[in-house]
Amino acid sequence: MFDHGQPSYAEVNKDVLSVMLVTGPRYWMLLGGTMSVAAIFFFMPWIYQLFVGVGAAGMNRNAVWGTYLSNFIFWIGLSHSGTLLSAVLHITNSQWRKSIYRSAEAMTLFSLMTAVLFVMVHLGRVWYVHWSFPIPNQMGLWPNFRSPLMFDVMAITTYLIASSIFIYMGSLPDFAAVRDASTGLRRRLYTIFSFGWRGTAREWHTLGWAYTFFAVFVIPLAVSVHSIVSWDFALSVVPGLHHTIFAPYFVCGAIFSGTAGIVTVMYCLRKFLNFERYIGQEHLDNLGKLLILLSMIWSYINILELFGSWYGGTSFELEALKFKLTGFYAPLYWEMILFCAFVPLLMFSRKIRLSWNKMLVVSILINIGMLTERFIIVATSQPRKFLPDAFGFYFPSWIEISITVGSFAIFATLFLIFIKCVPAISIYEVKETLKPLRRNA
Amino acid sequence: MAIVGTFACEEDFLAAAENLKSSGFDTISLLSPVPVQEAQDVLGLGKSPVRHFSLAGAIIGAFFGFGMCVVTALTFILPTGGRAIITVPPYLIITYEMTILMGVIFTLIGFHVVSELPAWRNRPYLPCANIDRFVVVVENAADSEAARAETIIREAGAVEIQHVEDSE
Amino acid sequence: MSTFFEKLKAYSKPGYYEKFDYHWTMTIDLDRCTGCEACVVACQAENNLPIVGEKQFARSREIKWIRIERYWEGDYPDVKMGFIPMLCQHCDDAPCETACPVFATYHNQDGLNTQIYNRCIGTRTCAVYCPYDVRYFNWFTYTWDEPLEQQLNPDVTVREKGVMEKCTFCIQRIRIAKDNAKDDDRRRVRDGEVVPACVQSCPTEAMVFGDSNDPDARVTKMMKNPRGYTVLKELNTTPSIVYLKKAQS
Repeated sequence: MFDHGQPSYAEVNKDVLSVMLVTGPRYWMLLGGTMSVAAIFFFMPWIYQLFVGVGAAGMNRNAVWGTYLSNFIFWIGLSHSGTLLSAVLHITNSQWRKSIYRSAEAMTLFSLMTAVLFVMVHLGRVWYVHWSFPIPNQMGLWPNFRSPLMFDVMAITTYLIASSIFIYMGSLPDFAAVRDASTGLRRRLYTIFSFGWRGTAREWHTLGWAYTFFAVFVIPLAVSVHSIVSWDFALSVVPGLHHTIFAPYFVCGAIFSGTAGIVTVMYCLRKFLNFERYIGQEHLDNLGKLLILLSMIWSYINILELFGSWYGGTSFELEALKFKLTGFYAPLYWEMILFCAFVPLLMFSRKIRLSWNKMLVVSILINIGMLTERFIIVATSQPRKFLPDAFGFYFPSWIEISITVGSFAIFATLFLIFIKCVPAISIYEVKETLKPLRRNA
Repeated sequence: MAIVGTFACEEDFLAAAENLKSSGFDTISLLSPVPVQEAQDVLGLGKSPVRHFSLAGAIIGAFFGFGMCVVTALTFILPTGGRAIITVPPYLIITYEMTILMGVIFTLIGFHVVSELPAWRNRPYLPCANIDRFVVVVENAADSEAARAETIIREAGAVEIQHVEDSE
Repeated sequence: MSTFFEKLKAYSKPGYYEKFDYHWTMTIDLDRCTGCEACVVACQAENNLPIVGEKQFARSREIKWIRIERYWEGDYPDVKMGFIPMLCQHCDDAPCETACPVFATYHNQDGLNTQIYNRCIGTRTCAVYCPYDVRYFNWFTYTWDEPLEQQLNPDVTVREKGVMEKCTFCIQRIRIAKDNAKDDDRRRVRDGEVVPACVQSCPTEAMVFGDSNDPDARVTKMMKNPRGYTVLKELNTTPSIVYLKKAQS
């Protein structure tokens, strides 16, 4: 697991905490950069859109859903690997999870927040968004629990709360380590954050039990969240969306893009935070194998979806299929097939799987493919529903493109803040994988 | 008065814990940088009561979720889409989510109750226990008892022994 | 207690709309329709529909609660053109209604598919779910230049940006008729008392509107016409609009 020799217990504390406690000018420049990009590309166009109306975006009456919603699915999808993978590997007691899971869970949390932002951007009257929560409002009316969007509200709220609790409880002993290593205001803050954690046998015991229960709750939750997101589409009667395969299709695609996202994040952590010692080729190898498996499941479901449309044989479905495969957005479709079905097959080669630079390229290509996959789902189906008179076309406006670019900056900003607030690698769990402090070990 | 003994290796730490326990000291805390299964066994920690909280939370969440949907539907009779007023299949999805949400929240509460965190008072603690040392703390010991405890800890091979006043 | 369970049982079954007082229905005779678009103009005047302007029209953001769809059949020498006025079908099993998270659209006691602008938060899901594409979104807050705002119908709200809207079967006229019926101590609205703007303005009387729960109403008789069909019947949305097929010679 450790490519450059085993560190000692004290070295683990020092290595991980120094990332948090020592901040150079490069970090501030990077943070300033991502924050400005987020402000200029995301928030300023959004504020403009709030004043003008959603018409500032490129949607029209034939395609009332656009890039905002496809990006929402993309970010929700990206959030799917962290917590889910971490929980599954915790239950199955995998050792290689321990040095990567904290950042993976952070990825979950932050992409989920970005996704929620996209819902806000999407809504026509976002200032009334609280009406979709079961909280008292001035109309004295509660939300419609029959609506797939309401499932979404409940599922995403639950997912946000549960994954925040999951990552917080996992880092509780590490907050205590930060408390012990720092002074001044930070020490006082982390005394509160760590609840006075001492690491007694009773505390470890309770944490172990509670953490396992969190993991058990989170796994079915993560699967349900993306199924529910897929039902936003599949519960409509729109040809090309009304497929029963959609739930597993979305869940598989989500884990696929999320795992690729983990590879990208791992690369950055390793490169910029000097975690070469903790994030090694074993992780890359395992993630690569997982990506191959997920890519093949994804390809299989894609074939099934095409087959279902063709075999159904209604003229509406065939029209939607024809538009998808040969219409204006066909190049995007085939690009997606290339990036998500064929590029991952390269990882069958061990040489590629173990090379950080090549894996970075592969993981980014996969996520570009997944971003377009979501765009195609939104942009090719609903402008071609049933009545040919209402056939339309959708092309994103510059505001939508700018907001899409800005969302990546928001994610980066949140992640940069995260590495200064929470130890990016779980200190105590890395120690568990080291040689125990025994005389005869 | 509290006796705080520091150990550099796990075996000594466990030996001290076992001897203290068999000599009748009940108010001992065993601090370690990583979870140590044997230390938990010494204290006789079996199945954690957290699991009752999880179960209770999940059950309450399920009833709450379904109940919320049904009560909403009955309070506002707003037919949609030709469906029944109480449409069970969509409500099961809300029930599912609320089960998990309440389960998670109750597990969190359970953790705080069982582990007695957050701590509202100062307790004997050494920062090195979170790095690479094992620490045994005997709290609220009378003077004669304290001497006995100190002997046990020293014999087990403690690197360092400190006396800390109990804070109330 | 027993009534509670009876209520519970009744509410667990679909089909309550059959018990509604009124079931407003429309028939459109395609044999009579000339595609003159008088109904489109009448609707625009009655319901305060905004004029979106040339630029937004080109981006297909026009708001027309009723539109005339044109379809061409056959090749050059033998071309036939057909019209079909398309408006909200007021489906009994409407796909759009279940989609709304805030109950902005629901079925009212008259069997109408209503849209409550004040509740709408603009998720636009209903428009995606609607197979007839008859829901229109307010992409901007539209304004009326002086003195055009004088022509706004005081019985109908002016919608703001971010709100979905669609044909209401001129619900303001239905309300007035029902109020009059109540004032006159009459039990029901008489047939022909409610006439939506499009029906009123149709020069060929292609459209007939009425309460299909009333067996003697003109619309009930028209619905029994063998030429009658509903659009996209295979989706089981059970629309309230029955089209009468063009007679073939």
